[in-house]
Amino acid sequence: MKMTKYNRSAEPKTPALFAAASRPVFGRVFECGSAGLLRAATYFVLCCGLVVLGDIALKGGRTVFQAQWPFVNVSFLTQAPESLHVFEYAGETHEMGDAQFRAFRANALRGAGRAAEPSSPNISGEQGSAVPAIRSQSYVYAAGGIWPCIVGTVLLVSGAMGIALSLGIGAAIFLSEYAKEGRFLRLVRLCILNLAGVPSIVFGLFGFGLFVNFFGWNVSLLAGWCTLAVMVLPVVITAAEEALKAVPSGLREGSLALGATQWQTIRRAVLPCALPGILTSSILGIARVAGETAPIMFTAAYVVRDKLPWEVERLGDFFFQGVMALPYHIYVVSTKIPQNAYTARVQYGTAFVFLAVVGLLALGSILLRGRLKKTYTW
Amino acid sequence: MTTGTSATRAALPLADKLKPKRVTPTAIEVDQLDFAYGAKQALFDVNLELPARRVTAFIGPSGCGKTTLLRCFNRMNDLVPEARLTRGAIRIHSADIHAPEVDPTLLRKRVGMVFQKSNPFPKSIYDNVAYGLRIQRGRRSRVQLDEAVERALRAAALWDEVRDRLHDSGLALSGGQQQRLCIARALAVEPDILLMDEPCAALDPIATAKIEELIAELKRRYTIVIVTHSMQQAARCSDKTCFFYMGRLVESGDTQQVFSKPANPQTAAYISGHFG
Amino acid sequence: MRGLSEPKNPPAFQIHKRSRRIFGLSREEAIRAFFGGQALVAVVVLALITVFLFREGFGFFAQQRAELTRYRRSGVEFVDLLRAQEKAHGELGRRLGLRGEAADRFADAIVPLRALLGELGEWALEIKESEESRADGAPTRFGEVAEITAQYPKIEDTFGELTAQLGTITESSPGLSPEQRAQLEKHLSGFGATLAKLRAWDAEKPVSGWQAARSFFFGRQWLTASFWQDFYGVVPLFTGSLLVSAIALGLAVPLGLGAAIYVSQIAGARERSVIKPAIEFIAAIPSVVLGFFGIAVLGQALRALSQVEWLAWLPGFPYAERLNALTAGCLLALIAVPTIFTLAEDALASVPRALKEGSYALGARRMQTVARVIVPSALSGMVSAVLLGLGRVIGETMVVLLCAGNRIAIPDFSAGLGVVTQPVHTMTGIIAQEMGEVATGTIHYRALFVVGLLLFLIALTLNYSAQKILGRYRLPSLR
Repeated sequence: MKMTKYNRSAEPKTPALFAAASRPVFGRVFECGSAGLLRAATYFVLCCGLVVLGDIALKGGRTVFQAQWPFVNVSFLTQAPESLHVFEYAGETHEMGDAQFRAFRANALRGAGRAAEPSSPNISGEQGSAVPAIRSQSYVYAAGGIWPCIVGTVLLVSGAMGIALSLGIGAAIFLSEYAKEGRFLRLVRLCILNLAGVPSIVFGLFGFGLFVNFFGWNVSLLAGWCTLAVMVLPVVITAAEEALKAVPSGLREGSLALGATQWQTIRRAVLPCALPGILTSSILGIARVAGETAPIMFTAAYVVRDKLPWEVERLGDFFFQGVMALPYHIYVVSTKIPQNAYTARVQYGTAFVFLAVVGLLALGSILLRGRLKKTYTW
Repeated sequence: MTTGTSATRAALPLADKLKPKRVTPTAIEVDQLDFAYGAKQALFDVNLELPARRVTAFIGPSGCGKTTLLRCFNRMNDLVPEARLTRGAIRIHSADIHAPEVDPTLLRKRVGMVFQKSNPFPKSIYDNVAYGLRIQRGRRSRVQLDEAVERALRAAALWDEVRDRLHDSGLALSGGQQQRLCIARALAVEPDILLMDEPCAALDPIATAKIEELIAELKRRYTIVIVTHSMQQAARCSDKTCFFYMGRLVESGDTQQVFSKPANPQTAAYISGHFG
Repeated sequence: MRGLSEPKNPPAFQIHKRSRRIFGLSREEAIRAFFGGQALVAVVVLALITVFLFREGFGFFAQQRAELTRYRRSGVEFVDLLRAQEKAHGELGRRLGLRGEAADRFADAIVPLRALLGELGEWALEIKESEESRADGAPTRFGEVAEITAQYPKIEDTFGELTAQLGTITESSPGLSPEQRAQLEKHLSGFGATLAKLRAWDAEKPVSGWQAARSFFFGRQWLTASFWQDFYGVVPLFTGSLLVSAIALGLAVPLGLGAAIYVSQIAGARERSVIKPAIEFIAAIPSVVLGFFGIAVLGQALRALSQVEWLAWLPGFPYAERLNALTAGCLLALIAVPTIFTLAEDALASVPRALKEGSYALGARRMQTVARVIVPSALSGMVSAVLLGLGRVIGETMVVLLCAGNRIAIPDFSAGLGVVTQPVHTMTGIIAQEMGEVATGTIHYRALFVVGLLLFLIALTLNYSAQKILGRYRLPSLR
């Protein structure tokens, strides 16, 4: 219908009730204000996380990365920790690791025509001699690298995850495929939940009391493996159970209808389908095992050890030796040595490597899980 | 169609019971069956004989117990925690399938099932069909497996469509093809009886037509029991029709006769669409 | 549609079992039992942990009782009553803040008591040490304690002198304010009670098991490797843990719940898909790295912040200790937020849409809906999230070990909110710190196990109540 002048003026106006402008101002302010506050809270948390990560990445990166090829400070990653010596020589300040310092000192002495004294780090020239005094300030663990720590952590993680996965997947299979509702099932679930809430230091205490003292294994890889495995067991069981439950029941029915026994169904149909999910969720477990310090403090970790784990005389000794570990090393270099510019380098470098490893594992797990969730829609 | 000599069979000593039975003209015999899920009874006094090498259709409205009865035939109801037989027996080739000496997995190797929603394994087409063979005792050579897979896929009318992509994932097939894959999978173990629980429910008309053609071919070698919601399908495919209502078998007989001159007024009402 | 080759005669209808049983179990049952055994491991481990902690822990109480008995019988307790008086004198001096001559006289007043203390103390210590190293069958020196207590008249005299001295100070210092006089009065009036305790002290009074337990659970001192007497009182550690947790939760609860509400109700899908993994990633940061960050950066930053002039009105600001409860609390908050966030967000997201739509259909605004409908219906989930966050924070070791200052003393609550800037020690920290230094089987070793047992029980209680409140079983902080 054509709009005549008459019609247009007779158009009904929007009733005042529904006009947006008449909504009370306070309500709008409260809406925007509270939403804004919540948004601020969320981003503040993210900022804090970013600050921590950024600080360690920046300062640690200076130690771990370098400008020239191969862009990574390989010596930091492949040497054992040693003491740092800071000294003045010929008017310049030098910083050297222990081995380098001793070589340097030997050279200086040879240059002055005197035999080196290996015992004392400080040599002072006699009166009137031309040998300059080398007084060095030494900082323990502040030079060298973290290779034994990396090796130790890798060993600890592999052993612990091996034990945890074997036990955990078996337990998850039982809980999701075999168990019937009843007292036993409820008890097991309750225990798993409670085990998940136990603080990590209590696991360390338990491991110390049982594996180190009662079994007599002393501070050893084996004790560390068992303690870490026990700590991460609830994570693995829950992740594996979730993955198994995600397998549609039509699969099981189809297999059983072909005359398969339950074990055949699990082994051939359910497990292969659930395995990607199990392994992906286990990556988070690996991140936890690698990242925990308290359980290994008195069960597996040494502050410093000369030999690398594979330098043992007998095969049996391999399992009963303690190792150095990254998180414990960070603890040691944070507390046992003073905070200054020299020690900050190795502290930040170690923290960066550790954070990078754990962070990559966690990131990988989060991303893979996100992707798997999409492919699981049947 | 003879009735089984159930009473005399029950009285035989154990040794005789354990002897393997010959294939009889009556494939499945249901004798005064009561079945319940926990406290809720699902089947009341069902008496039925299903002929061998024929297609029998179970029809009836939702919840009338036809799927329950079907799943009893291969003891899939064992998977439901509270389900049990409260009275009566089911005999397949004169062997009571609920006897304590019976191993359900062996039963299921002889009585195959195809489900309403196709459930191929997330494996290749070849592995799907070969699954049932691989779980059996006895090693088979690769050649034997290949032959058996080809036989099964041909029997399911799928061979020509997948012969050149046997190692692609079974999930990549269309809905109708997936259902035929499941049928091939069930046929690969060479059962005597094939149970089909609304096989065409999730399929389009063209796929449905293909499957109905397949059923017509298969009945030459297998006894087929099909549960269907579609009366027209029952009328097209089956030789014998059984009408269930509220857990009772109301009428069973020759398909032609049930659909043209049903003996029971309830059957007549259902067939003419008065309820359902 | 013929097959390649027709199969041979179909096998006869064989459906009966071939029974083959190992140990009375068929193969399937054996496999089931195998997996059941693996599921049992979780139960076994929890039982073992409980058994172990209790075993070692209970040994502590018996040992502590023997220790306290020795403490009493060798007279060390008697001397400590006197020593408490000396300490009170010192504290009084600090609080009065006297100057000049009055201060000198105050310091001199305590000298005779101190001398007496030294003499008796040495004696009692000798008796105690001789008892510890005594061979079986050799005579004890406990009888000498009677001689120590016989010194009571001398003690009384010393107290009399002290009273007189303090009285002189009061009179000859006109500049004393009325409060200071009141404090002195109060101090003097306490002498009577102390003397009465000294008089009534009995070396042979038996120490009950309850007293041993009370000395642990209510003891206000944790002193180890002391040449005088070791005390194992958990109160300073427990209050330290509580203080740090309170700070952490005070920061984490509003942030975590706020973020959960934002992400589940307000944020768009794309924002959500970025924020959620980001917060999960924060959860994966190892606590030792956070502790290191605290030592290297946060401690100094907060201290510098506290010394800013226009913030001086905040309680406890400025302060000098870089490592204190505040630093540790802030880092613990960062650890607790992802736990609280994940669970609260789950709870909020699982509120049925129908409730939200019903509220909108009645004309409510978004925040009104959130505040009045969604949050109350997800309340149990949010409370449970907070409890689990608390459990996580109380059980955290490395951050508090590195950043909390490690001073074993009950924080001074008289400073009000300023107590947060004091260094503290925690239950988890003490275990981590001292476990490496103790010999197996000593009372110190056992005391640490009792602390561990206490932690274990607290964590279990929090976990259990969180699950109960939540109503369904879920595993915390794993996502």
